[in-house]
Amino acid sequence: MGTSLNCNGIGRRNFLQLGFGALGGLGFTQLLQQRVQAAAKAKGTSTSNVNCILIWLDGGPSHYETFDPKPEAPSDIRGEFKSIPTAIPGVHFSEMMPQLAKIANKFAVVRSICHKDPNHGGGNHYLMTGSPTPVPVGCGSFVSFHPSLGSMVSQERGVRNGLPGYVSLPQMTRSGGPSFLGAQHSPFVISGDPSQKGFRVRDVTLPPDISEGRSQTRKGLLSSLDRMRRIQEAAAEDPLLGFDESYKQGFNLLASKDAQAAFDLSKEPEAIRKLYGENDFGQRLLLARRLSEVGVSFTVAYWGGWDHHRTLFKTFRDGYGHKLDQGVSGLLIDLEQRGMLDSTLVVCLGEFGRTPKVNKDGGRDHWPGAMSVLMAGAGIPGGAIIGATDPKGYYASDNIYTPEDFAVSLYTKLGIDPHQVLHTTSGRPVHLVNGGRTIKELFV
Amino acid sequence: MPRFIPERSNFRTSFFAGGLRVFGAFVCMGTAFAAEEAVQKPIKEVSFLNEIMPLLTKAGCSSGGCHSKPEGQNNFKLSVFGYDPRQDYNEIVHDARSRRVFFAAPEESLLLQKATGAIPHEGGSRFGPDSATYKALLAWIQQGAPYDPPEAPRLKGIEVRPKQLVLEPNGGIPLTVTATFSDGSTKDVTAQTVYSSNDKELVAVGETGVLKAGAARGEAVVVANYMGVVDVVRPVIPPAKRLAPADFKPFPVQNEADKLIYTRLEALGLLPSVQCSDAEFLRRSTLDSIGRLPTAAEAAAFLAEPSPDKRSQWIVKILADSNYADHWAVKWGDLIRPNPSRVGVKPVYLLDLWLRDTFRRNVPYDGMVRELLTAQGDTHQNGALAVVRDKRDPVDAGGFVSQIFLGVRLECAKCHHHPSEKWTQEDYYQLAGFFGKMRSRGQGISTPISGEAELWWYDPSGKGVTHPITEAPMIPKAPDGPEFPYKAGVDPRKQLVEWLVSPGNPFFAKAIVNRIWGEFLGKGIVDPVDDFRASNPPSNPELLDWLAADFTAHGYDLKHLMRRIMETAAYQRSTLPNATNVADQRNFAHALRRRLPAEVLLDAVGDLTGNRDTLGGLPPGARAVQAWNHKLSSDFMDAFGRPNASLECPCERERKPTVVQSLHLMNSSNLQTKLISAKGRVATWAASAKAPDEVVREIYLAAYSREPDPTELLTALGHLSREGIAKGESVQDLVWALVNTAEFVFNH
Repeated sequence: MGTSLNCNGIGRRNFLQLGFGALGGLGFTQLLQQRVQAAAKAKGTSTSNVNCILIWLDGGPSHYETFDPKPEAPSDIRGEFKSIPTAIPGVHFSEMMPQLAKIANKFAVVRSICHKDPNHGGGNHYLMTGSPTPVPVGCGSFVSFHPSLGSMVSQERGVRNGLPGYVSLPQMTRSGGPSFLGAQHSPFVISGDPSQKGFRVRDVTLPPDISEGRSQTRKGLLSSLDRMRRIQEAAAEDPLLGFDESYKQGFNLLASKDAQAAFDLSKEPEAIRKLYGENDFGQRLLLARRLSEVGVSFTVAYWGGWDHHRTLFKTFRDGYGHKLDQGVSGLLIDLEQRGMLDSTLVVCLGEFGRTPKVNKDGGRDHWPGAMSVLMAGAGIPGGAIIGATDPKGYYASDNIYTPEDFAVSLYTKLGIDPHQVLHTTSGRPVHLVNGGRTIKELFV
Repeated sequence: MPRFIPERSNFRTSFFAGGLRVFGAFVCMGTAFAAEEAVQKPIKEVSFLNEIMPLLTKAGCSSGGCHSKPEGQNNFKLSVFGYDPRQDYNEIVHDARSRRVFFAAPEESLLLQKATGAIPHEGGSRFGPDSATYKALLAWIQQGAPYDPPEAPRLKGIEVRPKQLVLEPNGGIPLTVTATFSDGSTKDVTAQTVYSSNDKELVAVGETGVLKAGAARGEAVVVANYMGVVDVVRPVIPPAKRLAPADFKPFPVQNEADKLIYTRLEALGLLPSVQCSDAEFLRRSTLDSIGRLPTAAEAAAFLAEPSPDKRSQWIVKILADSNYADHWAVKWGDLIRPNPSRVGVKPVYLLDLWLRDTFRRNVPYDGMVRELLTAQGDTHQNGALAVVRDKRDPVDAGGFVSQIFLGVRLECAKCHHHPSEKWTQEDYYQLAGFFGKMRSRGQGISTPISGEAELWWYDPSGKGVTHPITEAPMIPKAPDGPEFPYKAGVDPRKQLVEWLVSPGNPFFAKAIVNRIWGEFLGKGIVDPVDDFRASNPPSNPELLDWLAADFTAHGYDLKHLMRRIMETAAYQRSTLPNATNVADQRNFAHALRRRLPAEVLLDAVGDLTGNRDTLGGLPPGARAVQAWNHKLSSDFMDAFGRPNASLECPCERERKPTVVQSLHLMNSSNLQTKLISAKGRVATWAASAKAPDEVVREIYLAAYSREPDPTELLTALGHLSREGIAKGESVQDLVWALVNTAEFVFNH
């Protein structure tokens, strides 16, 4: 086994040795103290500048109608759509993805990630955290047994430029919470539809009726009236010092011209807004790009309604297909044009694929045996089609990968050691990702 | 007991051991030590349980990050902290085609080669070939790696000496640890014991059990753990400047608790801070006991009241306030409320009603726990049943009861014995045994709906609980309690409750008084409040005992307990430290600053501005503390931290300040809307015919429960009279500024 270096230049083998040496002779309370120290140390220590935009298609998008069509399969499996050639010779996508097909050389598709949890609750948890649920959970569950990818990134990166490390648009995903990392690593949720007039990113900008001058007046008044004595001795552990730090960060964010400009979508040229699609999803991706640009480490763009048990083909034709194709291709083109693709990891997935046989309602049901995951940027080779499913699309058949492998790859791309040991609130050691290996084709 | 190898009856063991003697003596591959001993002296048989297992534990082989991960490490899996020695033995001796021990050439055993780093080992070298550990392992393998016979002595307990430990700064002292076995024999296990200190700066402890004091003074807790059996010593580095009882004369004593605290402070050389002001007391006590700000009128009246007894009168008055029930229902919701998408919305709603009703009627705590733990019937009628439905597996119910009502975190012992405590899997599964006779009928758990009712009842023919490894049927027993064998016709849960509420129960009253003390003082006497264990002792055991006895003697009356706590001088101290107590976090020498919880802060903003949020599922004008689950949408409460309803409760509240919080208070449309509302109090103040200084006074009383001092009054009046700003806007800005100060956001 080779020794790979993480972002701080510490090899995994060294890390483990440190870990063992530390764990070996230690008792419980020391472990807890270590945890506290590790948490303090971790804050903002990751030096990586690669940010992530994760597009979550909630409900589980069909692999047939996106990136893994099966034109040779019988019609009850093949579905209503044709497959089309892409920029990569020999590779076909569904005809629903024409824009992405044209730029297939800019991203990779992993066709062979699979797992065994056919419930939304469990599947969401598995892909959003890299950890399966320890007990079976039902379809409607919102469970958080393990820290989500975004919460972990928030812990590792801390606040940058006064911005929270983890943002979720326009809502949080079911298992997108911090679990035992604590509420400060919950996603900052920006609700609302950025394609609508009057859309405003909440809280990070002044209220619309407060002018710059009035804001300065308020700030001055606050500093002269906030007179409770601060206790500077470190041993006193005065929580007011942390409170002051949070206000300093907040005021810095308000004062940052770059950041303030980023929140204002109207500053974006009309052509670029159109490139993403003039709809909620497209404009959310545009906002995600602007947030990445000013330092948000992990942004989730959530799009619900992909649980197509019925009238799947009509739903795709009526907008799902086009919106997805246009939004994601727009994002990739724009990132590349701006020179941001190397420092932005783009991921697009849901909790599982969908059943091979079209059901009686013209839909497809839950199917974790196969799914397609789009990944781009951060050094991922464009045009790579990784793994494959069998000729009818039932199961991943070549170079099969697990959600753990996906999480290991994502963390590695972001410069986070995926095998580090975290401690739950009760002091129990837990691996960030339990096992798993990098998807090697993403690292060539 | 020493034995001669030839006496051994195990053929294979004798054969290999005999062969080895020859091998060692003639081939001589560096095993002169073992060979010589084997030939010339009676060999003491190495005990796997009492010698080998402790060495593997001490070397870290069976730590949670290594070979006792759920999947093991590199196909070699040990039980966590050695809770399953039989399995570990098989893993070492028989698994992997017995490569780990190699009887023909014991030094070549994979176990030794890996552990010494002679061949690549991801965990590195754990001990050297010259170490006592190596020699013991080698001797054991040379003897044929025997497992202890059933009659072999078993570990009974350990004792660390010396018990009274007074150190000078930078001084040191060695500990000795003696293990006692079932045959009455004892053994010095100092070298094999694992040590830890709760404060390494104060007192560090080396691998060999030598204590080393640092430069600071105070008291540390050092835990010695030998094969899961623990003992604790509390080394003290006494204060440089000794205090005398006379030094505490100037400080008030309101009840016995204060005396006990002063005794402790005297020993630690800490002088208490002065008492807080009336305004601080008023705001602090009202926020802590009923979760709202005093009104401006209440504050003005209280400050003007001349009675020397006014603080006690106020305590009595607020505990009768209707907000009391809502405030404590929120706190108990954090502890016991299940995820509504698991047990159903209606049961969770009914549980919320049950909680509020329980606090409204001030049901004594023992009665409340009895209702909760013995609930049966229909989940759509009995609110308390939501918890039964949620903790439907006896194994979960046991862990829950332990943490909430005994203050003991047993969950580690579900899978292995507790890493730093005496709790074993038997303790865990015996406690679960009390819930082993429950039956249910109905929909069960079917998230997210769980929409239909479920019936729960005690069924004498229930199947009970078995131990996960031995599969022995478990006789119900609480940790440190007596066994309660199943009796036909008696719901074992009732026996559990009778034991809990019996006088002299070691945990029950202490757990709740500690929890409530922690709510008011910001730190438990045992902290975290639900983590009672030998290795986390109370900072002031006498104080805890007295509070528990007083609570029990007063019929488990929670309001009585709160009154007792709020009347202490300790509760009424200033948050400002003095030179002696600035570092004190756990002896109550000064009060602690605490950020207001999300609901309380949202209500405080609502009360100050006269505008409340409309929360989903609640009538307009409802207070945030009336929210019956954590999923009601609220950016404000998300920012300031509600428990994650998707997590297993008890749920912890995050009190850390974050930029998301400051940005929300600074810029949210939520606050801005409240400030500019034509119906709000800000508009009333702006339009008031009163003199500006009167208006400022009223705003200060409403926000801080105090009058502005002259500097503040001057600043505020200067702002209100600024040119070029409408009066309405300048009042909005003033209130905006106060809401964003630490004095508003914190309880102090």
